[in-house]
Amino acid sequence: MRSNFKRILLLVFILIPVFGFAHDVTSADQEILRNGGLWAYIQVGATHMLTGYDHLLFLAGVVFYLKGFKDIVKFITAFTIGHCITLIGATYLGITANEHLVDAVIALSVLYKGFENLGGFEKLNIKSPHLLLMVVIFGLIHGFGLSTRLQSFENGTEDLLAKILCFNLGVEIGQIVALIPIVLIITFSRQNKQFPAFYKAVNWYLVIAGIGLFLYQMSGYINGH
Amino acid sequence: MVRPLYLLSAVVLLCSHDLYIKMETYFLKPNQEAIFSLYNGTFEESENTIARDRIQDASFVSHGKRVAINAEQWKDQDSTITQVVFNTGEAGTYVAGVSTKARSLKQSADDFNNYLKHDGVLDMLQERTENNLLDQGVIESYQKHVKAIYQVGDVKTEDWNTVFGYPIEFIPVSNPYEKYSGQTLDVRLVLEGKPLANQLVYADHIQSAHGHSHKGHHHHDDHEHAHHSHDHDHTHTNGQKLRTNEEGIVTVDLPEDGIYYLRAIHMEKVEGNDAFTHESKWTTLTFEVTHQHEAHSHDHHHHDDEEEIPTWIFVLGSILVIGVLFVFFSKKD
Repeated sequence: MRSNFKRILLLVFILIPVFGFAHDVTSADQEILRNGGLWAYIQVGATHMLTGYDHLLFLAGVVFYLKGFKDIVKFITAFTIGHCITLIGATYLGITANEHLVDAVIALSVLYKGFENLGGFEKLNIKSPHLLLMVVIFGLIHGFGLSTRLQSFENGTEDLLAKILCFNLGVEIGQIVALIPIVLIITFSRQNKQFPAFYKAVNWYLVIAGIGLFLYQMSGYINGH
Repeated sequence: MVRPLYLLSAVVLLCSHDLYIKMETYFLKPNQEAIFSLYNGTFEESENTIARDRIQDASFVSHGKRVAINAEQWKDQDSTITQVVFNTGEAGTYVAGVSTKARSLKQSADDFNNYLKHDGVLDMLQERTENNLLDQGVIESYQKHVKAIYQVGDVKTEDWNTVFGYPIEFIPVSNPYEKYSGQTLDVRLVLEGKPLANQLVYADHIQSAHGHSHKGHHHHDDHEHAHHSHDHDHTHTNGQKLRTNEEGIVTVDLPEDGIYYLRAIHMEKVEGNDAFTHESKWTTLTFEVTHQHEAHSHDHHHHDDEEEIPTWIFVLGSILVIGVLFVFFSKKD
């Protein structure tokens, strides 16, 4: 059992460089998008997902609660449908909002997932909202965040739908790449007797990270105005 | 159909094609593939590509080394914009330069006078006015020499003040990337290696990479060989109108974040030359300015990576927090 946990830790540390070396979405990406054609949209979409820790934390929270692979596929599909609707729809229609505010709501989704996984609703004697429905709703919010980011670039009007779809495709590729290690770590950890402590640690971390990211984004919103 | 075309040509102003090295952003990451565009027209709109045989020098300077841009790096985006694909390499403050060969253009007196006025070559216009030469047509020899200074990563190097040896060129007195919005930048104008005094210089800026949009309308009716094109509303003399001092220096205000571009046209009347009557040497310099404490320009609509928590800090911090919580819950249970 102890060796299993060592394997998990090893996996975590092996994955650090993957995240550390990932490119953030920067002003330089505008140059890539301008000159790189549709392929660049796939690349930037994937990059954004892989470096968007708020999206990854929420996904980790969703996966953590689920036990079977079938459930994982079901919930991730629900999340994907949700974010595709707003990513494609809002970008195509030009609906946008302040990025800090959208990211603040996304941070709250991370907080929510940790709270829910820790049985927060039960402790408060409140009926837990429908799991799948909440994942779809949060998928819509995350999609709006992705759309807001995509719209912050100059996308022009030519082939706009194709660009949006390519960015969306990139996001899905990034999501799959990110989910592989997340699912592996969680699956390995379940075999360990210390899983309950790990479960609590990660979900409390989601609560803390959700609050931290929320405050960070609100600070950015206030200072940015 | 004839009448509108006639009217159109009647209101056409003959004006120049400025040449600029333009990038979406002048803040780039190390070892990144990047592209600069040669804007031949105004800074907002390029009207023609640049034929390769017209270029007599195109090079980068980084870490004290000057490297020529090779033929494979050039491409034409369409019929209006010529581009160069390059790798940014290691971090530093670098310069790209392009110099074109001289060409000649014959112009009627009116066309030439209009162009001088429209392009702000006011000293020559004044000289023609004072000497009663406004009715004389000309053959003008023109050449263009342009530079851009860009910042790769956070490391500042001394390449920004490299003298390219072009017939005319701008050379900043200090590193533009150690200047911030709200400050000023001194730039020296050099003609044939010597400071050029009392020369009109125009400086303007646009919003940084994310804050502006390009107009989709291009003129396709002109020819690459001519630097005078049909245009109706664009102007070359917006922004700050400056004049170099005795040391050839202008002080450019940097009022806000943005991409700044300087332009100067030095023109002289040439005596005793059968090929041309006037010779002009054009130069531009482009760079980007941001506000202090930030390495990348941005506006409130767009995040840059500098605004966000660096990924590696987030990952390490997360593992640390999870580790501490794990130890806590392990002991508690």
